[in-house]
Amino acid sequence: MANPIISTKYLSAGYDETTVLDDVSIDIYENEITVVLGVSGCGKTTLLKNLIGLMRPTKGMIEILGHDMVYIQEHEYNRLMKNVGVLFQGGALLNSIPISYNVAIPLEQHTNIPDYLIQEIVRLKLSLVGLGHAYNYLPSQLSGGMRKRAALARAIALDPAILFADEPTAGLDPVTASSLDNLMLTLREQMGMTLVIVTHELSSIRRVADKIIYLDKGKVLFSGKLDEALESEIPEVKNFFSV
Amino acid sequence: MGNQTLQLPERVNIDTIPDIYNRVKEMVHKSSDSDTIAIDFSGVVHIDTAGVVTLEKVQTDANERGIELSFENLSPTVEKTMQAFSSRLLEKPAGKQKPHILEYVGEYTYEYWITLRDFILLLANISYYGLVALFRPKLRRKGEVIRQSNFIGVTALPIIMLVNFLIGIVLSLQVGIQMRPFGAEIFVAQLIGFAMIAELGPLLTAIMLAGRSGSAIAAEIGAMNLSEEIDALRSMGIDPIPYLIVPKLYAILLTIPLLVAVATFVGIFGGAVIGYTVFQIDFNAFYNEVVFILRYYEIMTALVKSIVFATIIIVVSSFYGLHVEGSAEGVGRATTSSVVVSIFLVIVADSLLGLLFYL
Repeated sequence: MANPIISTKYLSAGYDETTVLDDVSIDIYENEITVVLGVSGCGKTTLLKNLIGLMRPTKGMIEILGHDMVYIQEHEYNRLMKNVGVLFQGGALLNSIPISYNVAIPLEQHTNIPDYLIQEIVRLKLSLVGLGHAYNYLPSQLSGGMRKRAALARAIALDPAILFADEPTAGLDPVTASSLDNLMLTLREQMGMTLVIVTHELSSIRRVADKIIYLDKGKVLFSGKLDEALESEIPEVKNFFSV
Repeated sequence: MGNQTLQLPERVNIDTIPDIYNRVKEMVHKSSDSDTIAIDFSGVVHIDTAGVVTLEKVQTDANERGIELSFENLSPTVEKTMQAFSSRLLEKPAGKQKPHILEYVGEYTYEYWITLRDFILLLANISYYGLVALFRPKLRRKGEVIRQSNFIGVTALPIIMLVNFLIGIVLSLQVGIQMRPFGAEIFVAQLIGFAMIAELGPLLTAIMLAGRSGSAIAAEIGAMNLSEEIDALRSMGIDPIPYLIVPKLYAILLTIPLLVAVATFVGIFGGAVIGYTVFQIDFNAFYNEVVFILRYYEIMTALVKSIVFATIIIVVSSFYGLHVEGSAEGVGRATTSSVVVSIFLVIVADSLLGLLFYL
């Protein structure tokens, strides 16, 4: 079997005295769509923050694309993050500039592509998320769902190898949510992207997930394929999918 | 140049695109009408969205110049990617027509009128509820007058005292030096007394309050507005003006006369310190000169001014807080505008009241 593209071993992390993640060991392989599940407060977002290097674990190892994220140097981290896209829960767009500038930021900072081609790429990315018409809009002029879609366009601006998405379809209408799910499948199929998605949306999970990681009180309760998760006899997992 | 061919590398992505783009552009520049350029995809195993967008763009540009640019030997995978991310998907941005200059003028005039109207309405509302809530305390947030009085009055006291003490020192020094050649240093006391009581005490206190408390009020109400807390109050049938703003009005009206009194005293004391140490004016003589110039009229002037300034600060900061739009940046803008407009209106009011009382 190929080497995992994302791997954690005995990962523990928390805030001050509180341990949120406890001995979490996971492997995610290239071209997979992995969905991280669990009830509120189980450590999903903390896991995501540790994986993208925004939080340091108290114990254990994290490896992304062959880089040790615990002891990574800043310049190496910045280079690595060109290959990693992150969609934050609230979008995290820069509010003082139009969404087109938001999407252009990584392209301007990390490539030598001429400006007018950057504009074309930005238009394509915004069109892919259904926001081509809102090119000149400020984030404050968009609804919550539209802001999230604009943030997704920014996260995929550089066609990263890995996309981390925190609740990408939460708060979206079913039609838009479905089109975003399809976009994620397209990104996986055409770009060979690996996706790690935190979501509670059952319809989305069923549409896109290859693999499920179920967290409970900071521990991995289940890790396996979607079909296995649907058949699981673990009460928490069974309960989650039977809602 | 006739027919040219460009062999693409194995990976057409964000890293290789600038080079490919420059080479194709050079080939297009060297070509003339009816020449052909073939882009050979036979070696390509991966193409990303930047690759698709760039190659489609150079193809369109070449075709517009009458040069035929074709894509050849595409593998099924690459062809599928080209279709999936084709620029045919592009939506047109919503365009805005540039308005005529008269439309600009009209729009700005209208906006200023609306702002003025809203400001006057808010002033009327605050004044009305300021009176009504005196007799109906339930309209106000419980315990808020005390909390706001502490914030606006007590916590602002040290900085207001320090600023007025320093101004008293500077003013006394400057005036005394000018008067020394005439042997009239004793009049420093009268000038400091008069200026601090009728002018500088209320004005400096109001400017400090506009910067400190006014900005905090604008930011607090603005943040509440953004997080829909104001809407939530309205949806519960609670008017935010008596509930949120009137307690702040009471608090500032209660505390500002006391702040002005302390500020004036400390300012005069600063002047007396310089009078004693630099111009050898005895504290007792200084006090007698201040009392000699002091009339009830100046005290009333200071009181009226401080009440007007307090009302301006509350109305302006609430106005900008209630009109915050957009995001956190909007709160920052509202806070800045609140401070600038409050200080401006305080100075305008000070000038008008000065003319009214002393002409």
